[in-house]
This record gives sequence, structure tokens and C-alpha cells, in this order.
Amino acid sequence: MSSARPATPASPKNYKVKPAQQGQPMYGCEHLQKLFNQDQATTNTSIQHYKAILRTIYDQTPLISQTAKTVDNQVVTTLTPTYLCLQCPSTVTEDDRIKHGTKKSHRFYVDSRSASLYCQMCDDMVYDPTFEDLRLKKLGTSTFSNTRKRKQDELFAPDPVKDSPAYISQNTTTATCKANGLRGIYNAGATCYQNVVLQSFLHNPILRNYYLSDGHSNCDTPHCLSCAMDDMFQDFYAVENTNGYTAANILSGFWISERKAFENLVTTKEQDAHEFFQFLAEELHERNGDGKKPESGSEHSCNCIIHQTFYGKLQTQTTCQNCSGVTNQVQSFLDLSLPLENLTQKKGGKKLLGGKGTMTLQECLDEEYVKLDKCEYRCNGCSSMQQARRQTSIKRLPNVLSIQLKRFEYKQGRHERAAKIDTPVQFPLQLNMLPYTTVGRTGDTKDNYELARQCTYDLLSVVVHVGEIDTGHYVSYYQVVRLQRSQGRSGAKVRRAKRKGVPAVLHCQVVGVVSQDCC
Amino acid sequence: MSLETGDTGKAGIIVAPEDGAPMNKLAHSVLDDILYDLVHDLLIKVHRDEKSARANTAAIKVEKLALNAIDGSTPDQRPDVEIETDAAIYKDGKVTLKGNPLKTTKEILCPRCNLPKLLHPTDGKGAKKPDLGVIYCKRHPYIEKPGYDIYGQTWVAPGPGRGKKKKDMEKKDPNDPNSPVPGTEGSAKDRPPNVLSFPSATCSKCKRCILVTRLNNHMGSCIGNSGRNASRAAAQKISNSNGGSQNNDNTPPGSQKGTPLPGSRAASPKKRDAEEDDDADESDPSKPKKKIKLANNALKNKVVLKAANTTKKEKAKGSSMLNVEQKVDDEEGKNSTVQVAPKKSNPKGPSPTKNKIKVAKPSQPPPAGKNKAKVRERDLESESSGTLSSPPR
Repeated sequence: MSSARPATPASPKNYKVKPAQQGQPMYGCEHLQKLFNQDQATTNTSIQHYKAILRTIYDQTPLISQTAKTVDNQVVTTLTPTYLCLQCPSTVTEDDRIKHGTKKSHRFYVDSRSASLYCQMCDDMVYDPTFEDLRLKKLGTSTFSNTRKRKQDELFAPDPVKDSPAYISQNTTTATCKANGLRGIYNAGATCYQNVVLQSFLHNPILRNYYLSDGHSNCDTPHCLSCAMDDMFQDFYAVENTNGYTAANILSGFWISERKAFENLVTTKEQDAHEFFQFLAEELHERNGDGKKPESGSEHSCNCIIHQTFYGKLQTQTTCQNCSGVTNQVQSFLDLSLPLENLTQKKGGKKLLGGKGTMTLQECLDEEYVKLDKCEYRCNGCSSMQQARRQTSIKRLPNVLSIQLKRFEYKQGRHERAAKIDTPVQFPLQLNMLPYTTVGRTGDTKDNYELARQCTYDLLSVVVHVGEIDTGHYVSYYQVVRLQRSQGRSGAKVRRAKRKGVPAVLHCQVVGVVSQDCC
Repeated sequence: MSLETGDTGKAGIIVAPEDGAPMNKLAHSVLDDILYDLVHDLLIKVHRDEKSARANTAAIKVEKLALNAIDGSTPDQRPDVEIETDAAIYKDGKVTLKGNPLKTTKEILCPRCNLPKLLHPTDGKGAKKPDLGVIYCKRHPYIEKPGYDIYGQTWVAPGPGRGKKKKDMEKKDPNDPNSPVPGTEGSAKDRPPNVLSFPSATCSKCKRCILVTRLNNHMGSCIGNSGRNASRAAAQKISNSNGGSQNNDNTPPGSQKGTPLPGSRAASPKKRDAEEDDDADESDPSKPKKKIKLANNALKNKVVLKAANTTKKEKAKGSSMLNVEQKVDDEEGKNSTVQVAPKKSNPKGPSPTKNKIKVAKPSQPPPAGKNKAKVRERDLESESSGTLSSPPR
């Protein structure tokens, strides 16, 4: 697939155990140590088998890994975990593990649900550094090698000089263990709409890695917002303070910034968090990027951190009903805006029949990116106005996908004014975006589990507005997985981190209680 | 899908009634299996975190011992000794485990600072008293306690001057004896360390210390133009565009000088910014001199103003002139920060601050006094009182 990768050598590759690292045992247990120290051939087959098992578990239909053969040759497909033998291609149920072990003296099995290794002699799950590395790589990037395929990942590509441990230990200081990025931001007077966006930026692993690895440096712009962000990241992740943070520099940068499009945003009044998000994205793009104004609607893309993180591409396909001519239009997007108005009206009927008027995020996405809508357009083929069908899908998913729910509608009637839609929208902690992509719409991707996993996002943060349309309060949640409190709430905006690419997302700590937001 | 016989799945919790229909039993069995999977996944995750942490702890401990065994060595080099503990063996620079770390290792060391981790919160739900003789890693388990954040911090109770009235303060939560008692916020020293209060921050423009809750409003009036002058600016604009001028007001000219002239300040925030930059720039030697000049002009201004009032024609002319001159000022304010001199010849152009000073001190005071007056006056304008309640950090 990738031409950059050297051709596989004809001679069998010798696999190596992950070299010893400080503060980490070399092997998962004594018995694995014996296995790896037998001879090179055993090590090779063990690692090869583990890789093959990972592929079976993650890339193929679960039917394969969930189907086991009992000792008396009965085939069982079960919902509960099965165990794939590391030393032979058989799959056994939990009850048959010991029988298989005594018969074949195979002692290591891989759990079909978590791909963890079970050692029969320890009678426990064993987490071996070599195998764990492979598992995390498979889960994170779908490949076992370190090379990245996608162009957009250039920014995160490993740098041989800067990524060497010697360079890092020489040029960095270890942050105190107390600093973990969980701090509130003081409300400086109706600034909660800024604070929630800042918090979600702070907990965005890509932005965090960028700023903490000195991504924005050598800047001499006065009142630069990116410098202010840099300071803020330092304060959140390197300082022992646990009290609130005062975002004074961000605020003054915001006041000083002269963006025509966001003139109305700069007041002491309550504002829309989504607009502030757009403002911050544009401002940071300008400070870090190629300096070009981001044109909404164009296919403009640049290599700045904001584009790498948030921007994706939408494709609108218009099919003329007369001549069946197809035109494609591609535009980049910062976030997906999902209107709730139509859906709530449709659901309104059901609501009357009983049952709560709730909907899911997937329903909203279906409405926007799966269904076709009709429009009139000027067809080039027919050179006249024609009826056409229009369909929008996502051509390129961003690394961090932000979704905004448009929770307002204009009530028709005597007093025409905006009103807030309070219908709860349920959202999952993991969202598969494959059905809404151009690839997912056109190709047959039903059984492509690898692609589906690449298109799966983990929930990173949620920004919720509570209150009326013109006043209220913004609250934000980050990876609040343990507590169910964020579920089913009326999310004003949901932001997801794509799993791909950044291993930090994979083993990031789940936080039960989010620090008080000081608003 | 083949199923083992029985009314339930692997977890054995969701059991179908014995006389249930086959589909009923199947549904129960599927649900039970799913429940088992959920528990299995959660358990594996916790188990992985815990066991890896213990295994790493065993490695850290034995490495430490190895380092101690040969003192004076550089930490980067792996000492060539053989050390064995209950949990791990150190040999040839490699650490291998001995037995199950979940059994052999009881505590968890932080992989970064190598200090033991505190395993229970110190306060609130599930709290345990930490061993005072042990230095723990600074990352503590989060505290779950009503009214407190995850670090066990709480807030200075809202008291008078903090947006709450006295009667609100009396309504204390009786169920929470630990809730902050009003009166404890007296000063930073009396407060327990976990009680926070709002800090102050420095405004990047005027370099003054502002209580954080007022920061946005302050910046509105300091950087933007949404302070209390904004409405005046709007009024000024309207009256100017209608061809009228301030002199049409009923207020006598004298009192008008007592209060800031409407508009001139807010209509041109740029100019004001430029001036303030000047003020902030303490190395500017020409500053005091300018102040004196400015004071000199005070009398002249007065005369011109009175003269302008005499005839209607002149007045109309004056107002149109004013518009032009203000624009010019704006330009100059943008381009240069030092050259403020032309403003002084403007009969109505000067900013309200200057006007005020002129009235207050018609004679020539020393420059230092002037500065003070200016600062005090600005205080009144942009912020209400209440800086008293701004507590120290």
C-alpha cells in the first residue's frame, strides 16, 4: 500500500523483544521470560502469532474470534470471551483452557475481547511490555510499524533528533506529578463561554502535545493569543497550583484582537461559546499557520496545528435529475453543525403518542450526512435550471472532530424570536463516523473493521449550555466516563478526539470528578 | 448461534423463569452474557492498570537497590550487579519479575518521582488518614466531598461586598459542618490553606491589579469601549450627526468641564490607548514636561470655550471644526505615541481626563501630583470601589 516502506526481505525477519527500560520489568512474567529466552525461532513465532491474533480480533468480524472449538470437537460461538492459543491456531473457551493446556502443553492464551495475554502458570492476565506495545500500536494506528501513512500526520511524525531520549532528557524538565491539567478557570465576568472552550482546548491531547513540546516559540507578536495559550498550557501541566487559573492574557488578547467577523463577540456580555471557538481557531491559525485567511467554503488547508487538529473536508455531490450529471464540491470544515429543528418537529408527533422526546446524535448525523435533499441548481450539462439531488458526506475526517448541535429555532408567530430547543440528545462515548464519510457511503465497507476503527472517535469533552437562549451558563465536561452525569444531558456541543495517531488518547486517565469550573 | 443448555448466560445473574418460552430464555441468556462482558472488560482494564503499576514498582525498587549497591555511579549507566528482592531480580542491567507482582508488591511507586502513591483520598468519600511519616507522590486520589473540589479546596463564603447580602449568608447548610463559616475569610492568614478566594490579575494594558471577577469588565473599559463611556460615545455620535453640539445642552459650560466631555474619550479609543501607553512607559523623559504644558493650556481652553458660545454661527462652525480635528487626532494617535502636543490646541478635543485635571488644579502643580490625580480619577471611572475586598493571593 505504501511505497515508502522497504520491500519485505526474503529472509525471515527476526523479531526482538522490547529492550529493557528503566522502571519496567523486561517480561510480563517468569514464564514468558522462559518462552522468549528459549531460542530465536520461538520468539519469532510467538510474536508473529500474537500479531496474527491481533489482526483476527481487531480487523475481522468478531464471529471468527468468538468461535471456539471444544475438546470434543464441538464448535461454539459465544458472546463471552474466548481464548486464542498463542502457540497454535486453536481457539478455546474458558472452561477448556486447562484441558488444552494439559494436552498440548500450551500455556499462553489471548483474551478475545481485550487482546490481553493469559498465562496459565500464573493463572492470571499478564501484561508483557513487548506484547502491550504491539497491542497499543494495533489499536491506535492499525499498523505495527512506526511509519505513518497519512500526509496530514506529518506534524506528528517522529523526529529522529528531537525524539531521542538523550535529547529529551537534556532539554526538558520533568513536570511535577501534581500538575495534571485539571484546574478551573476563573470567570472574569460573563466569560464562561470562553472558559469552556479553553478547557476543551486544554484537554485536547494534540494541542497539548503541540504546546508542551514548544510548538509555538520564537514569537514576538505583542498580545499574541498563541503565546497566551502557551502560557496557559504551561500553567496547567507544569505548575503545582490547584486553584483556578486566571486567563488574563487570553482575555486581553481577545479584547485587543481586531477580527471584523467577531466584532460583536468582544463585549462584556454573555456570548456564544461556539462563536468563541471559531474565533480562537481562526486566531490561532493565523498565529501558527501560513498566514492565509481561512476561507470557509474553500478547500483551503494548511499545516498549522489548528488545521491539523480540527479541519476536515466535506463533499457535496449534486446529481442533476434531468441529465444525471454529477458535480462534486469539496469544502473544508472546522466543525459539523447539526440542526435539531426538523428532527424535533418530526419527533414531535411521536412525543404526543407517549414516550420521551429524545434523540440520538447518530439520528442527527443521519439527517444531515446520509439523507438526500432536493434542490434547484444550474446544471452545466443541460445549461438550464434543473431539479437536483444533493448529498453531503465527509470526505476527510479531522483528527479531532467537533460537533455542534444547533439548539435554537425561530418561532413563527406574533413574536418572532429565537428559542432554545431543549430536546435531550443522547451521545455515545465512542462514535463511529464511517457511515457519514464519502468512502463509507460509496464503497462496500460493511465488513471493514479496520476502517471502522479508524473512523471511531472517543468522546473527549462536552460543552453544555444551561439556561435560556439569551442568558445562562456554560458547563464543560472532559472524559467524564466513570460518572454518568454527562449522558443524556442536553449537549450544546460535543467534541471528540479521534483515536487514531495519538497514543496519548488511548491511555489517558479517566477522571471521575472534574475540577470546579469557578464560574 | 449455538447455546449451552441452561436458562442463563455466563454471569448467571439474569435468569429466565423456568417455564419461560425458548425465546424468553434466549433473551435472558444473551443479556446475561452481555453483562458478563461488561464486567469482564471493566475488570481487565482495572487489572491491567493495577498489575502494570505493581510490576513497574517492583522494577523501580530493585533498580534503586542496584544503584545504591554501587554508589558514585552515574544514573544513566546500568550498574553491573545482581540484586534480588521478593518481587524482582536485577541482573545484567535487566529487571525480571519473580512471581505475581499483585502478590509480591503491596505499594505502588510513581514511575516519575519514584515516591509511593497515596491510594486513598485524604478527605471526603472513602478517605483514609495517610501515614504522616511517608513522603507521598504529589498526585493524590481525587476527593469527593460536597462543596469541595477534587483537590479538597473550597471557596471563601460569599459575604457582603461579594454579591451576597447578609441574610443570604445566614442561610448556611446545616448538614455540612465543614462548609466555610462566614468570618473566616478575614485575611489570608486566618484562612485554612484549602479555602480559596478570588485572586487579582494584572491588566496587560494599564498594568493595574484587578480582581479577577471584574477583569472582563475592566478590559471592556480599558481596551474596548464598552465601559460607562460607551453610551456617552453613542450619544455623542448621534448628536454630532444631527448637527448639534454639546453646547446646546442645558448644562452650563462650567459644570460641563467638571464631568468628562461626552464622547471625546470613547469616540476614539485608539487615541486614548496611545496616551496610556505613554503613561505606562516610564522611561519617557518628556512626559512630565508635557503635563505642564497641558496645564498651561487649561486657561486658554476655557476662554475659547466661552467665546464659542457667543453666536450661533460660530458655534456651528466650531462643532464642524471639532469633528475634523478629532479625526486628525485619531490619525496621529494611531501613528505616533509620543506626539500628543497638537491635541492641546484643540478647544474641545482633549480627553476628559485632561479636562478634569484642568478644573481641579488651575494653577501649575508639580507633575507628580498631577499624575496621582489622573490615576485616582481613572480609578473612579472604570471601576467601582470594592478593591478593598480584593484579598491577597
